Amino acid sequence: MANLDAALKDAMTIDGAIGVALVDYTSGMTLGVAGGTPEIDLTIAAAGNTDVVRAKMRTIEMLKLNDDIEDMLITLGGQYHIIRPLTGSNGKGLFLYLMLSKTRSNLALARHQLRTIEEQLEL
Amino acid sequence: MSTGDTFLPRRTAQRPDLPPPPKLPPSLAGNPSLPYPAIGSELAELRLQIPGVHGSVLGGVDGLRITHDAPAGMDPDDLAAMAAATFGLGRQVSLRLGHGEFRQSTVRNQSGYFAVYAVGPQALLSVVGHDAINVARLHMYAPPVAERLAKLLAQA
Repeated sequence: MANLDAALKDAMTIDGAIGVALVDYTSGMTLGVAGGTPEIDLTIAAAGNTDVVRAKMRTIEMLKLNDDIEDMLITLGGQYHIIRPLTGSNGKGLFLYLMLSKTRSNLALARHQLRTIEEQLEL
Repeated sequence: MSTGDTFLPRRTAQRPDLPPPPKLPPSLAGNPSLPYPAIGSELAELRLQIPGVHGSVLGGVDGLRITHDAPAGMDPDDLAAMAAATFGLGRQVSLRLGHGEFRQSTVRNQSGYFAVYAVGPQALLSVVGHDAINVARLHMYAPPVAERLAKLLAQA
């Protein structure tokens, strides 16, 4: 079991990690961030991606798929963004947001590591 | 100090050496020289840009409405007055703690948000939003709007 700071630090050890944030998608507010660059404001990324998560959840609901998001992958020219909603009972309404450099990361491994971090995260 | 046989703790009045609060500027309400169309389009843009915003009111720090973009059924004069009350509380807090100018205040109730942003030293932007609003986005989008509104008010 890892607390928030430890989990964010762990996420930053994933190869190619640029930044990571834990976000509340009911409000768009960040609970914690790690990494980031002077050009990338992770709180802006969190607020924007809240709308992405909400839109996808609404779509799943409209399609009556009766399912949940496990994770979302957004591929940019130079980056991967992985969004992973928390599944634990105390993580309701939160998601992890990880930015990876496309050239320096191993996507499959990063996705696996993020799942482990998410499963062990205790708030 | 006692009521019957129970002793109630009382806070002794303290008069800290505080500077007097700054004088409030003259009211902007009803000023015909304000650029109302430009202000109106800023308020409308705020509602269109952020999903979940029901309406907004631009009021003076005196609690009088300058203009509004509120739907029917939402009294803009009430909102302007409540914004000024919120501002008053914020100003008192800042006076005691020495935190400077009032910037922003958010009230969240069961089914909605009421956020107040300072628009320069003499006006307030109040925004009413749905409970599901992305507040982080509102807090990012509204301050630049307030800044532009302050510029528009300063022109008049």
